[in-house]
Amino acid sequence: MFEPAIILTLLSKTLEMGAPILLAAMAGAICRQAGIVNIGLEGMMLAGAFGGVLFSYLAHSAPVGILGAIACALALGALFALFVITLRANEIVSGLGLNLLAVGLAGYILPVLFNVQGAFSPLGLEGLPHWHIPLIESIPVIGTLLSGYDPVVYFSWLSVPLTWFFLYRTVAGTHLRAAGEAEEAARAAGINARGLKWLAILLGVALCALAGAQLSLSQVTLFNKQMTAGRGFIALAAFYFGEARPVPTAIASLIFGFFEALQFRLQAERGISPQLIQMLPYLAVVIALVAVAVRKRVRLNTKARVAQAAAGQEA
Amino acid sequence: MSILLNRLLELRGITKRFPGVLANDHVDLTVEKGEIHALVGENGAGKTTLMRILYGLEQPDEGEIRLGGKRVTIDGPAAAIRLGIGMVHQHFQLVPSMTLLENVVLGAEPSRMGVTDRAAAHKKVQEIAGSLGMTLPWEARVADLSLGPQQRVETLKALYRNASILIFDEPTTVLTAQEADQLFDVLRRLAHDGATIIIITHKLHEVMSISSRITVMRRSKVAGVLETAGSSPQEIAHLMVGEDVGHMERTGRSQPGEDVLSVSNLLALDKRGAPALRGLTLSVRRGEILGVAGVEGNGQYEMVQAIAGLIPVMGGTVKIVGHDATRASTRQRREWGLSLIPGDRNAEGVSKVSTIADNLACTEYYKSPLSQAGVLNEGAMQQRAKTLIERFSVSTPSPYTKVGALSGGNVQKLVVARELASEPQVLIAAYPSRGVDVRSTELIHSKLLELRTDGKGVLLISEDLGELLSICDRIVVLCEGRIAGEVPTEQADIYWLGELMIGGKPATNPPGAVMPTVTTTTTTTTTT
Amino acid sequence: MITTETTVRQNPTASAYNRFGPLGQSLAPFVLALIVGAVVLTVTGKDALGTYAIIFQQAFLGVTNLADTLLFSTPLILTGVATLVAFRAGVFNVGVEGSLYLGAFMAAWVGFTWTGLPGVVVLPLAFVLAGLVGALWAWVPAALKAYLQVDEVVTTLMLNYVAIFFTSFLVNGPFLAPGTANSMSPAVAPQAEVPRFMQSSQFNWSFVFAIVLTFGGGWMLRRSTLGYAIRMVGDNSRFAAAGGINVARTLIYAMLLSGMVGGFAGAAQILGVNGRFIDNFSPGYGFQGITVALLAAERPLVVIPAAIFFGALTNGGGLVQLFSNIPIDLINVLQGTVMLFATTRLAFKWLKSRPGKE
Repeated sequence: MFEPAIILTLLSKTLEMGAPILLAAMAGAICRQAGIVNIGLEGMMLAGAFGGVLFSYLAHSAPVGILGAIACALALGALFALFVITLRANEIVSGLGLNLLAVGLAGYILPVLFNVQGAFSPLGLEGLPHWHIPLIESIPVIGTLLSGYDPVVYFSWLSVPLTWFFLYRTVAGTHLRAAGEAEEAARAAGINARGLKWLAILLGVALCALAGAQLSLSQVTLFNKQMTAGRGFIALAAFYFGEARPVPTAIASLIFGFFEALQFRLQAERGISPQLIQMLPYLAVVIALVAVAVRKRVRLNTKARVAQAAAGQEA
Repeated sequence: MSILLNRLLELRGITKRFPGVLANDHVDLTVEKGEIHALVGENGAGKTTLMRILYGLEQPDEGEIRLGGKRVTIDGPAAAIRLGIGMVHQHFQLVPSMTLLENVVLGAEPSRMGVTDRAAAHKKVQEIAGSLGMTLPWEARVADLSLGPQQRVETLKALYRNASILIFDEPTTVLTAQEADQLFDVLRRLAHDGATIIIITHKLHEVMSISSRITVMRRSKVAGVLETAGSSPQEIAHLMVGEDVGHMERTGRSQPGEDVLSVSNLLALDKRGAPALRGLTLSVRRGEILGVAGVEGNGQYEMVQAIAGLIPVMGGTVKIVGHDATRASTRQRREWGLSLIPGDRNAEGVSKVSTIADNLACTEYYKSPLSQAGVLNEGAMQQRAKTLIERFSVSTPSPYTKVGALSGGNVQKLVVARELASEPQVLIAAYPSRGVDVRSTELIHSKLLELRTDGKGVLLISEDLGELLSICDRIVVLCEGRIAGEVPTEQADIYWLGELMIGGKPATNPPGAVMPTVTTTTTTTTTT
Repeated sequence: MITTETTVRQNPTASAYNRFGPLGQSLAPFVLALIVGAVVLTVTGKDALGTYAIIFQQAFLGVTNLADTLLFSTPLILTGVATLVAFRAGVFNVGVEGSLYLGAFMAAWVGFTWTGLPGVVVLPLAFVLAGLVGALWAWVPAALKAYLQVDEVVTTLMLNYVAIFFTSFLVNGPFLAPGTANSMSPAVAPQAEVPRFMQSSQFNWSFVFAIVLTFGGGWMLRRSTLGYAIRMVGDNSRFAAAGGINVARTLIYAMLLSGMVGGFAGAAQILGVNGRFIDNFSPGYGFQGITVALLAAERPLVVIPAAIFFGALTNGGGLVQLFSNIPIDLINVLQGTVMLFATTRLAFKWLKSRPGKE
């Protein structure tokens, strides 16, 4: 299984399957920078997947599907923001509730509207196109790696510098980080902290919508209510791993995307358990959090020793 | 008169009430253009409240603010900034992970189409800093800097917003001596360039060296306004501590016995990791009340926490009734006879969402009679609660009322009741009468005196000199994490104490005073 | 060494408790969720009241129906109690699901490995070991929180998935039942199954066990010294520390208990219903336990009616799906809505009329 061709396919699959994780992780990172732990990524992705299929089917158009995905997810995201920011509900409980609500609504609406159980894959459902880039496509290895994906995959790559630029170079992004890290200081500087938190959630939700739409309109062209399959939590793992910084988060997302591609590949093979590979992202986060805590502790101890020495000198 | 012409800012008859507290009582403050005006007073005198009103963080209940002769309303920091008023808070309002530059311009970034114009920001900030002779690593993160540069960032923030009146709330408490000197250079330069500065401080030498005029506050009122040139430190200390010394409640001289609590060379850090106790040594003997005078923030909190075993000590020892308690758990220390009335009763003294009975059981629930073999005896808990409620006349409908429903005085009586119920050998009482009505205060004082009569030791920490003078046998002054001086209460001179509290060096000491021996030698501290 | 103070979150239910009043806090989210559900039903052209009536009928009328409702509520009672104990100490444990999976596998393993043991030995043994495994699993995030200040929400959440995939690995690999293509363990020995009460329902003694445990948990929190310490740490950890309670140790104990009960929940489900470990068997019992615990807040016994409410919805929802063509996912909508409202503080601003608050 280590033949070059297989590895190449694996890497190409990584980019494709990593895209929704990457987008949702960027969403999570933006929210985290705004001081919100968004456990609802999973539900928001599901809303996007649902909206994408629904509107693409109704309009027979994939672009409309994308817009529909964003609209559906925004509705759900607004609900989340309303509860967490305006009504000050607990973000963890609300996030988990939102995920359930998304599954419930999707699972309820499909049978009622279309009389389908399980997967919704109607005739006339328009999937996302796959872009074959002229010239590049014909270059051997690079062609396989860079060409032939749907637009959302390309956008997912773009989302990393965009997120970085937004967070670190725009006024709104800077204010958002300030509101997330030191709300009181932000308010003292005249910043509308709550408004920016709303903005963070809604921006994140739009990214989640694209992630969901990529799942339901490109990786497959169908919807079922389990289709996000924990990717929202992998994304959570990714931005925790990357400490909500865009580039490390993106790297973590792609590593986790690789695990996912690998696990699909391994289902055909025997030897390494795909379940153990699926387990890795979650385990990695726990280990990363411990490492961060230990590092913090060491720094504090050093600081304490320095201060102690200084106090000793004076005394 | 030039004073009339220069009157830039006038606060007239400012009154501010908080529930149960009158923080400002018809306060007048006049500040001239281009002066450095010191606002001096003990903790709780109302200085910070007054400045928060000026910066729009609080709204006065009465009174008016005039700026350049015109009456203004300041309904928030934004309004204050528009009027050219800037404030450098005691606790910096900075975003730790952001760079210095980002922090200075935060909320007022120069931008083009939503994108921060970093070059323009850098240029403007550099200009302002350059005019003050400051150089700072603009791209460093605030979190990586010490407090001195952080404060310069705060100052620049205000100047960047075109503040011409700058308020500094105890700016030097977090600075080293050298950093403080640098700050004063900046302040003089600013004043020279026409800015007006109001500085809140406790430190006499700062007042003398930097200010041109002084307003002294005492107990929510203005105690006096002085020209710095021509006034003496003694005069300022007099105005600050007042004349109203409480009557003596003690009966008879104490016959102190052996030490029940002794602390030597204690080193401890505050939450941020800065040294808070720098070699603290004191001891409490049986049959005496030892008072600790001092301005809050000089290590009182850490002293209490370290003695109770709630924060680790970096050096030195704590002995409780003959036991070496330096590394012992809080429960063990209590078993040895320590009791504690914490300074912040709502945070540490009680649990407001729990019942009175639960609150009263906290120190002894694990042993008989409150429990047997791991099972609580609810009858005994109720009985104990009822007894203590009665003995300390706590007014409550039932032992199962939640503490959050009680008034401040009643809450404090509960804390005192619980801490005395375990029959301590030594009691630490931190600000036991703060925010408590007169009758409860009397009850608490009489209980402390009772302990003294019974041959127990009491360590009383207070910011109220009257309280200390009326019930203590000895008083020590805590300043910058060390004992600055000690005196038997009979010999205590209130102005002498006041001078020590603000870091002064009194020319003469009262008879019986014990001054710290000045050592410059290094103690043996390992720096591995 | 510097040891920073262990930070304890305020019990997430405490603030809501003060405002809603005891009954309001438990009931209001239910009522609101039912209203939201009715709106969803009406908008989609269904008869809301009729649907609720069918659910009620199916859930409570008739012995078998009632038995099924209680059967569905059993794991929720246990995960609710498990979560509540941790919440009460101020630990936001969302990792009961993980303890449940590991406990479930442990119980199944005892059941299909030690087939020679009589029921009176193997059943208690299976539960004890399941509880032990669940507790050990919870110890990891507890120790990380108590000694390294690692946020427990993320660690417990992540460890859930580790547990789920790990047990999945076990029953897809080393413990895959011979001759089956599905991912499940071999069946447990018949004597290792929890005895049932009747033929017509899988309703079994686990429910009684869950009820006893709830009362036991309530008693422990109210009357034992450990429970007292847990309550004080959860109510105000700085106060508890000043009073001499070892905060770090107390929250570890609370987490061990929480994980243990989570393990019991897994054992009860496997030995009472499934008879073997099945990959991914839980539809989120651990997460539903969070809702149940939030609704119960400071009154552990409320876990029972709250769990029965969800058990009834699950039971009744199945029938509604069958006969009136209303998707069972309505239940998820209702439960998600309950969760959203469960910690909302300002929703009832107009009810907060009592003066004299801080």
